[in-house]
This record gives sequence, structure tokens and C-alpha cells, in this order.
Amino acid sequence: MATSADRFVHRPNAIDRLGRTVIYTGELLRHPVYTRFLHWMVGIFFFLALLSGFGIYLPWIFRFFTPLFGGGATTRFLHPWFGLAFVFFFALQAINWLQVMRWTPEDSRWMKHIKQYVTRSDSVESPETGFFNAGQKMQFWEIVWGCVAYVITGVIMWLPEIFGRILVAISYVIHDISALIMLFGIFFHVYLSTFGEPGTIQAMTRGTVSEGWAWTHHPAWYKAVTGRDPAEALAEAKRRNTPSPQPPRTL
Amino acid sequence: MSDRGTLRIQQISAHPGPVAGEGAQRQDKVCKLIDTTTCIGCKACEVACVEWNDMPFQTTYFDNTYQTMPDTDWNYWNLIKFNEDQHDDGSFAWLMRKHQCMHCEDPGCLRACPADGAIVQYSNGIVDFQQENCIGCQFCVSGCPFNIPKFNPNTKKVYKCTLCSDRVGAGLEPACIKACPTGCLHFGTKDDMKFLAENRASQLREVSGFQNAGVYDPDTIGGTHVIYVLHDATKPERYGNLPAKPRIPLSFTVWKDIFKPIGLFGAMLGFVGVVMHYVFEGPRREQPTPPVVRIDPPPPPAGKEN
Amino acid sequence: MTNGWIDIKNTDMMLIMGGNPAENHPCGFKWPVEAKRNRNAKMIVVDPRFTRTAAVADLFCQIRAGADIAFLGGMINYALENNRIAKDYLVNYTNAAFIIKEGFKLPEDGLFSGFDAATKIYDKSSWNYQEGGNETGKAVPVSAAATPAEGHEAKAAVVPVSTAAKGAASTPPPPPSLPPNIAYDLSLQHPRCVYQLLKQQYSRYTPEMVERITGIPKDQFLKAADLFTSVRKNGDMKKVATIIYAVGWTQHSFGTQIIRTAAMLQLLMGNVGRAGGGVNALRGHSNIQGATDMAGIFDILPGYLKVPNPTDKDLKTYLDRITPKPAKPNEWESFNYWSNTPKFMVSFLKAMYGNAATKDNDFAFQYLPKVDRNYSWVNIWNDMYEGTVKGMFAFGMNGVMIGPDSQKNIDALKKADFLVVCEIYPDETSAFWQAPGITPDDLKQINTTVYRLPGAGFAEKDGTFVNSARWLQWKNAALPPPGDCRLDQDILAQIFLKIRELYQKEGGKFPDPILKASWAYTLPAHPSLSEVAKEINGKALADISDEKLGISLKAGQQLPGFAMLHDDGTTSSGNWLYCGSWTEAGSMQQRRGTEDPSGLGIYPNWGWSWPANRRVLYNRASCDLAGKPWDPTRSQVWWNETAQKWVGNDVPDFKPDSKPEEHMGPFIMNPEGVGRIFVPLGAMADGPFPEFYEPIESPIENPLHPSQSTNPVVKKYKTKMDKYGTPKEGYNIVCTTYRLTEHYHYWTKNNPMNVELVPEPFVEIPAELADQMGIRGGEKVKVTSARSDYIAKAMVTKRIKPMMVDGKKLYQIGMPIHWGFLGISEGEGRTAKMPANLLTPTVVDPNAYTPEFKGFLVKLEKV
Repeated sequence: MATSADRFVHRPNAIDRLGRTVIYTGELLRHPVYTRFLHWMVGIFFFLALLSGFGIYLPWIFRFFTPLFGGGATTRFLHPWFGLAFVFFFALQAINWLQVMRWTPEDSRWMKHIKQYVTRSDSVESPETGFFNAGQKMQFWEIVWGCVAYVITGVIMWLPEIFGRILVAISYVIHDISALIMLFGIFFHVYLSTFGEPGTIQAMTRGTVSEGWAWTHHPAWYKAVTGRDPAEALAEAKRRNTPSPQPPRTL
Repeated sequence: MSDRGTLRIQQISAHPGPVAGEGAQRQDKVCKLIDTTTCIGCKACEVACVEWNDMPFQTTYFDNTYQTMPDTDWNYWNLIKFNEDQHDDGSFAWLMRKHQCMHCEDPGCLRACPADGAIVQYSNGIVDFQQENCIGCQFCVSGCPFNIPKFNPNTKKVYKCTLCSDRVGAGLEPACIKACPTGCLHFGTKDDMKFLAENRASQLREVSGFQNAGVYDPDTIGGTHVIYVLHDATKPERYGNLPAKPRIPLSFTVWKDIFKPIGLFGAMLGFVGVVMHYVFEGPRREQPTPPVVRIDPPPPPAGKEN
Repeated sequence: MTNGWIDIKNTDMMLIMGGNPAENHPCGFKWPVEAKRNRNAKMIVVDPRFTRTAAVADLFCQIRAGADIAFLGGMINYALENNRIAKDYLVNYTNAAFIIKEGFKLPEDGLFSGFDAATKIYDKSSWNYQEGGNETGKAVPVSAAATPAEGHEAKAAVVPVSTAAKGAASTPPPPPSLPPNIAYDLSLQHPRCVYQLLKQQYSRYTPEMVERITGIPKDQFLKAADLFTSVRKNGDMKKVATIIYAVGWTQHSFGTQIIRTAAMLQLLMGNVGRAGGGVNALRGHSNIQGATDMAGIFDILPGYLKVPNPTDKDLKTYLDRITPKPAKPNEWESFNYWSNTPKFMVSFLKAMYGNAATKDNDFAFQYLPKVDRNYSWVNIWNDMYEGTVKGMFAFGMNGVMIGPDSQKNIDALKKADFLVVCEIYPDETSAFWQAPGITPDDLKQINTTVYRLPGAGFAEKDGTFVNSARWLQWKNAALPPPGDCRLDQDILAQIFLKIRELYQKEGGKFPDPILKASWAYTLPAHPSLSEVAKEINGKALADISDEKLGISLKAGQQLPGFAMLHDDGTTSSGNWLYCGSWTEAGSMQQRRGTEDPSGLGIYPNWGWSWPANRRVLYNRASCDLAGKPWDPTRSQVWWNETAQKWVGNDVPDFKPDSKPEEHMGPFIMNPEGVGRIFVPLGAMADGPFPEFYEPIESPIENPLHPSQSTNPVVKKYKTKMDKYGTPKEGYNIVCTTYRLTEHYHYWTKNNPMNVELVPEPFVEIPAELADQMGIRGGEKVKVTSARSDYIAKAMVTKRIKPMMVDGKKLYQIGMPIHWGFLGISEGEGRTAKMPANLLTPTVVDPNAYTPEFKGFLVKLEKV
């Protein structure tokens, strides 16, 4: 059986060599170790930055969140470093994903039918949906631009002596807005990768997804890596009506 | 820097809920009056400030001016700004203005401060920094229309004039007032100082020929507890960038007080949204939904290592 | 000060000139501010720079440094031309009506009568009043204005003949003296009366001439003159104007005459003796008034008694020479307070030599040194430079820095055998051998032994300060001197005792003055300053009583005032002026009463001011002829008809029972009893009227008389160090020196707080000149005078404007004096390590011997 390694251009690097990705029969490689490492680093620093930023964001929650980091002053001290780490790892991720995150006409069409996606009127994604769907790409690009905003406004707020009070006052708002958007987005990200679309999170843990998950959520990608038509594969699976060859989801 | 034992707090930065002891005791609003028309720039106030507050000396450099340093600093809260003011009509003035915290009625620093209790306003009007609560974010710096709070990179805290809250709490006048030799500085209740200032301004208009003399007590920030008598109140900028209409940036007022909670609520709608989605739409499972079959034991690994 | 600091609050008009009180007297400057705030007083500031004082002035005029007499002379001219004068005051309280001897000549050509070009000294015999009597109306018909004065004069005419006869009888033969019966013309019309001569003298000081000399545009000058003299608009006597000055006037080769001009203007306008008036010198150090009172000058003894000279064979000769005789119109009275000189002198000798001073030995008069030459500050250094002065004790002064021409002073010290310096910091004088430019080889050539004594700072000593207002105020020591430092009086006492020991052991040419000097302190090696203060006040040495004053004292009791001094050896007093400062009631200097019943700021129970706790001198002049205050709202003293006495809020500076009808002059220290608009005889070396002369280094020829441009009696020094620059040699910028609020002379460069306030030396340069030369603020510039050069950073400022002087464009620059080669920022390499006085010329005022620090010529270059 062809594996994704053949299709998804990936040169194993140092980090990849450190980890192990075990692909069972009936599974496809979705995220190699490097990607997963970046993802979790981004995730950790995102939440650290989010929580430390939260304390400073709203007086009402200042006293709940700042003690997590050792008090207000340390929180304030750590937050920009968390933020920088977040941006750093995300930047690597962005370079990593630059290719697959390209916006395509298919994505535009996907966006037109987003209502169907939300209401689950289709049981599977449109056959055009590739490695990432347009929603994911949107979130990705939101984070890219959000990070740009974070860095610029963050540095301004970090060094007010240099930039002056007006820039700081503006930055403060932009930084907040960016954080709010990202916070808004993170709920969807977490939901869809867990409860919303079961079978997803293993892509970021073990690095693999089941073929069924692939033809369900990313048919075009499935086709690309297996060479099989996802609709046919689905029909065949239905026909066989046999237990899926994949191992049970035991995360 | 404070003296909570004797002064009543009126406002606390980033403090949810009521201020303890608020309104328990009525205090007169205090005010410092600076008559720039009788200031001779002797810097006695600067020295008194440094000495009373026991601040370390710093090295300064000649900068083509009599002014001690370009701006106030974390260890130099009181600075006379010297401005050579050449007018088009050939007349000339050498304006000297004692620059320090203005102790705004509506303090931009306090508005901007995210740290609970790092900035307080006493009910006598003094705005005071509590360094033990300061988180060093310097938002107060950008919240201040007068560029007063100054960051100490070593302690990572922000400092400024306290209007000698420790002295005032003990019934004394601020150190600068005590030191002023010409009586250009006065200290008392806001009402008294306003009265004195207005009298002096009208004297300047009627006797000394300063048509535009007036009192600087900008209402854009609710008035200040440090007020100036200026020869020309229409152009305060001449006195070393004293803003005519000082304002707290909207980001620290409208944004912080109104849109921030709303924004957070908006962001939390994302959470609500996904929960609702799960409840009403449910998850999308991979197709065909695998039958719930227990495979025991799991099949041997068939993949390859990557 | 004729008045006092607090009294300035009573004024209506201030002319601040030759001083920068906001800068140098910020604490005292509260009173000018009070006057502005509470009385709507106006302030006129005239200065070469727009100063901190100018910043709060109502009118500022930028004057060329050294042109002050022209400005003030122009003011006098303006006041006379516009009748802005106090006529009654002028006629009765000044010598305006007195007639001057024939043969006196005004200096149209720059010279008064009697000049000897060879010796550069005036024969002053023609500078005298004419003997005679009432010449009123004899020259020209009486003017109506003089009538009110005549009433008194007629009444008074009968009384004082006998006094006059007495005076005439005791008049000694030459040297020339004032005539006992002075000729006068109350109508002021006599062509040789002082008033007419004054008019004639200053008629040359037209606004145009003032503009040519001072560089102040005519319209601005007229504005200033009109504003200042406006207090006498329409002959109104209620308002008062004051003149405030400092060393910006003194430090010229004609400094005393500038102050004279101010005094004349004030007399002319009737401002002397009045609350809010006077001529007010602001002393530049906390106790410089005390230093002067206590003979800090070579030619006086304490209390301004003249120092004896070799011609004073005995006490009588000396006293005859220095005790003035009354000289006045016969019909008038004169208190002539200096007639008490013998009492002051004998009491002083008793204080000096105690029991060794007896009537038989002329009260040890011969123990006093007889001064045969000019020992003024600059001359001592000049003599050291020339090798005649071999050693020096420098206490409380940094000689290398404060004198003119620092290099000359450094070179002088190189030639000395020894130098003893008592200071609280290592100073440039005691480290003169470290001055920039001295190489290790040079160092080997210097054989001066330097002793450094660690003294005590002012806060480490108790004792008094005498402020500009003549107030003696006691201070307590704040903390003991640190380390090995010792109180200055201990150091001096121990040196004295050691010298006395040496005289005792080894004898000497004339040991008596040392061996017999009174040293009656409880701890001779540690005299307490309160003991010294009590000694200065003086005590009764025998039981004495004065029926008229109703005072009787037992031997040993402190004297209550100088009225109790005797010339028979029954009293002692170290300084008659301070007599009354430490009485049986205790130390008057320590009084801290804050009552001021009159509201005039007299505070009679605070401290003590000489003379006799009087706050305003000549305060009799604050009343009209009948003894009623000119301005009842500012009543200082007045004649109480019922008590037949002068009474008041202040202590009357007058004979207490002299009825107004007696027409006694209010200026009781003058033998004439009146204020001197014309100074007769030898009181001034360079003329009875001030005449404008150019500074020794001047950018132009004197427009009044180019042939006699500078002060004719000023002598230039002759050593090779004494060079004087001219515009022809390229020295065409006028430079002046000054101090800053932030620093105190050469001390505070050792104090980090002061150094933080103003860290580095600078040269203030007009923006226009800087533009021309391409100098930007902060760049280093070199200022060169004929003597030396000085490098510091440029402060480019709009506060000094270019000016047109005698048709030429002229720039002035200035520099503060506070930096040398020792100090904090000097150590950090932030200064040029040069004293500003490297540039200043050695030339002194002929009356007070003050060097000409203000207004000399320099070149300016970018470094």
C-alpha cells in the first residue's frame, strides 16, 4: 500500500529523526514529528501567552491569572517572552506549511458552501478539500497576520521609551484585538480537532490519520496520497461493511 | 511611597469592586499652584525633591541649556523646563516651568494601569504609585498626557512625583513648596489655589500687560491638582510642551472600560458557539462510521518507522 | 544696603542693574516678587544678558558691560529734564543747593579740575564747597518752588550761630577741609550750585548719547527712564523706587562711581531713607557684610574707622585727621555722628589691648600697624609676583581662582616661600602646582612649602552671619567638623598663641602688640564665638552712667549701645557698629521674634541690625520737613510733637530730640548732614561727580571724550603678565563673568548634587554670532584674552542679542566662573580644567580696589 510518504513531500530532518511515527495499515501519515513538535510548542506558548496576557488584559481577572506566573511583575516580565516563543515557533510552522496553506480557487468555492460544512448537511467534505480545508487556512493566515501584529505592537509596548505614548496606546488596542480574534479562533480549533471531528487529534499526537478520516475530511488529499478516488473508497468501505482495518481509536 | 495610614484612597488602578474605606472620611482636595510668572528657575525645588525622596544622584551632561536634564527621570521627579521664547515682534521671554506630575483628577496613568493597586488616587486628589504592586508594563507612561511616569530599568518599576503624599499625610507641605524661595509655589486646597491663581492671572492681565494670562487647569482631564499661572494661557506649548488639551488616549478609556469586556465576551462566544454546535449539529465522524468493534489484542504493527 | 531685604517688598519700582538677584540671591528675591505681587511694583532689569532676573522683569534692557554710568547719567538727565525730581527733599536733604568753589571744572574733556598727569592723581582742593552763607536769590530771582523750604530756613536762621562758631573755631589749618559755613542757594539757581553743576554735567548724557555708549536703543532707554522716574510724576512723593545692585557694578575700574551715580539718582528722586527705596548692595556671600564691618579691607579698622598711617604720630594726630568737623550752612544743623570717632577708637583700642591700653600710652595706639601703602588684594598678589611678599595665609578664599588673571596668581605662588591654606576641600590655591600646563620639570623649580589646614564649613561652626541688610543673625553648629578638621577660630587662636610663645621666648623687634594683646577667653586655644561676640559688643570697664539716656552700668556689664561709648578708657568695644548686639539682656543676634506690628517687614525683635537695630538707614528722610512721613501708609519714623521726640516703627536714624525746625540734616554720617550729590574733597579718587569712562579693555573710544577714554586715575600694573587687549589686536568681543544659582563659587564643584544641576562649564554666545561662526550648542570654543585662553562648551542662546554700540555691531559673551582643575566633573574629564579668571585683567577700581571682572575684551574661536 502506498504511504503518504511518497506523496507528501517531506524530507526527514533532525527532529523527525528524534521522534517516531508509527503508521498502521489503513492509516495515512498526516504530520511528521517536526510539524507536531512545532504545533505543540506553538500551542504551549500560545496558552502561556494567553493566560499571562489575560491577567494584564482585564483588571477583573488580574488576580486570578497573575499568580499562576508568580505575581504581576513576573507575569508582565514573562508575557513578551512567551509571545516571542509563540511567534517564533509559529513562524517555523508557517514556513513549514507555506506550500499547503496557499489559497486556491477550491478554497474560495469551499467558503461559499461553508454553511453546509457548519450544518453538516454533507456527510463528507466536498471532494475538492485538500490537505487543509479553507477554514483551516483562514485560521492559519489569521494567526500569521495576528503574529505580525503581535510582534509589532508587542515590541512597541515593550519599549515605550523608543516609540512614544501614542504608538503604545494604539498598539495596545491592536494587540488586544488580535488576541481576541485568536482566542475566538482557538475554540474552533480545539473543538474541531477533538469533539467536533473525532479522529483528528491523533494527527498531532501520533502523526497519522485513518484513511476513512482522510476521505471524509480531506478527500482531495486522500486522493493525492493514495491515488484512489475517495468517493470510491468510501463506497467500497460501505460495501464491505466490514470493520475498518484501522485500530480502534484509543487515544 | 504612600501613606495609607493617613490618606484616604479614592481610586485604585485595576481594582475590581469597591475601594475599601472610600468615603469614610471627607478630605479637602489639595492643590499645588505654580506661578510661572514668578519662577526664577533656581532649581531649589529640584534639589528639595531629590533630597526629600533620597534619590541617587546621576551624571548629567551639558546640553546647551540651563535645564538640568532633558526630561524628568525615575530618580528626578521635578524638573524646571527652560524655554527661550522669541516672538515675531522682537519681544523675548525666558520661560521657566516646573515640570512634575500634575496629579490629574482623571489620571491617565491610573486608567491605563493594569495592575491592581499599583496606582492609587487619594481622596485629596494625590495620585500615587505603589511600586510594590507595579508590574513594570509602563502602560501608565502612555496613559499620561504629560509624560511623567518614568521607568527604572533596574527595578523594573515606574516612579513619579508623589506630591509628597508622605509629607501631606502628616500635615506638611510638599518638599518643593517648602524649598521655593520666591513664593512662586503655593500649596493648599484646590479652591484656595484656584482663587489665588485667578487673582494673580487677573493682576497679570490688568497690571502687567499680559493680555492672555490665565490659569492652566485643563478640564479635558477633569482638572489637575497641580495648576499653573501662565503669562499666556492660550499657548501652553511654549512652556516646554505643556499640552493645551491633555487627553488620556481613548485606548485607556473607551477601549479599556467598554470594549475590552465586550471583546472578551465576544471571544468567549466562540466557546459558546462550539458547544452549541456540538449539541445541535454534533460531530462529523469519518465515513463510514466504523462499527464499534473491539479488537483485542490490537493487530501487530504493520506500518513502517519514519 | 541702606534698606534691607524684606524692605524691598515695600517698593513701587525696582531698578535691578549690575546684579542678578534671582540667580545669586534667590532667597532674597522673594521680596522683589512680593512687591510685584502685592504692590504691583514694576521691575526694570538692565544687564548684558537676559538673566533669570530679567525673566520676571517688566522691562529688560540689554546694556553693554561697563556702560552703566552712561545709563544712570542718562536717567539723571531724564529726571532733571522732565522734572521727575523730589524738590523739597533735594533742597533740604541733599547738598543740591550748596555752592561749589570757583575753579572747579566739570569733565567735558574727561578730566575734572586738578589732575596731575604725571602722578595720575587729582588735586582735590577745588572739589569743595564755597565758604559763605545764604546766597539764595542772589544769582537769579527765587523760584516759586523753593518757597516752602524758605519758611523753615528763616526760622532756623537764628538758632545755630553758636554751633557754627564752635565749629569754625576748631577747624584746623590745611590739608583742605570743608568750610564750616557753606554757601548755598535754596532757589538752586546759582550757576555754581551743585544742582546746576549736576544739570550741566549730565546734560551731555542725552538719550542719543546713552544709545551710542550703552547699545540700548533710544526708545527703550526712554521707556526705562520714563518708567523708573514715573514714581515722581507731578512731584508726587508717595511712591518709592529702589535700586538694587551687586558686583556687576562694583567690579569695574569705575565701580564705586557707578554706585555713586545710583545714589545721586536716588537722592534726586528722594528715595533714600524711605521704606521701599534706597541703594541696595546685595552682598555675594553669606557674611561678606560682616567681613567688611570687621575690617576685611586693608584700609579700615572694625567699624569703618580709618587705618592709621605713618604720619599719625600719636592718637591725637590720628583722631584729628579722621574725625570730621561739621560743615554746613550756618542756619542748618548737622549731627555729624562721626564726631564720636574718638569714643569708637579708644573703645576699640581697649578691646584690642585691654589693660595694656592706658591713657598714658595713648591707649596703646602705637601697637596698631601704620599702613604705608596699598595692601589691597590685587596688590598683595602683585607684590608676591614681584617677589616682595614671601608668604601667605589663605583662609576662606581660593586665591588662585577668585583673583583676576589666575596665571599671574599661580606664578606668584611659585615664587612664595610658604603658603598656608585653610579650606574644607582641597582647593586650587593649595594645589596651584598642579595647575594645567605645569610639567614635572616645572614642578622641580617650585620651592613653595604648602601647608593645608582642614577647616570647618559654615554649618560646623556657630557664630553670626551679617547679611546684606546688616542683620546679625546667630546660627548654631549643625554638626561637628568631620575627621581632623578644626574650627577656624581654633586654628587661628592656636597659631596666635604659638607666635606669642615664640615672642615670649625669643623676644623680637616689637613684641608688645603681640604680647599685650587682650586674649581673655575661657579657653585661650578654643575661643568661643559667643565670647568673641560679647567682646565685639563691648562692656563697661568702670561704673559709668549717662543721665540723658538714663543708663548706668557697673564695671564689667555689657554695653547696651554705642551711645554709651567713652573716649576715656572706661569702655571697650571691638566694633562700635556692633555695640548693642550682645547686651546685658543677652544675645540680640539670637532673637527670633516674628512680630511686625507695622507690616513694613521691620521685625524689630528678630536678630539685630547695625546700627542700633535700625532697619532703614537715614530714615529721617522718609519724612517731610515737618517730620511727617511722605507716605503715611509706610510710616517708618515721625516727629511726635507731644513727646518732642522722634519715634516710629523703626529706630529713628537721627538725633532723637532734634526738632524739625532745627533743620538737622537726615544724613547724620556726613559732616554736612545732607546727602552728597556732589562729593567734596578726597572721598572719591576719580571725581566729585561720576563720569562715564570706558573699561580698561574697551571696544570703542569713549564717545564723550575720546582723548580721555578710560578712568584717568586708574593705574595699570606693570609686570610682564599684565597685558591689556585692544580691538585693533582682534579682541573685539566684550566678555563678562558671573555666577550661577546652582553653584557656590568654587566649593560646589565638589558636591554631586550641584554638579548634577550644572555639570560642566560653558560660554554663553549670542545665537547670531554662533551662526556666523558656525558654532553649535555643545561644541567647544576657545575664548582668548590678552592674558590667556579658556576652552569650554558653547551655550548658544537667544538671551544675548548683538548690539549697536557707537555705530558698530558688537557682540557680548559671558561665562560662569565655577570650575577649576579640582572637583567632581573635573575628575571625570568633563571640564576644561581652567579657571575663568585666566582671562580677566589685573586692573582695579581706584576707590575700592575691586578688580574689573565685568567687561573685558576677548576673541572667540571654534576648537
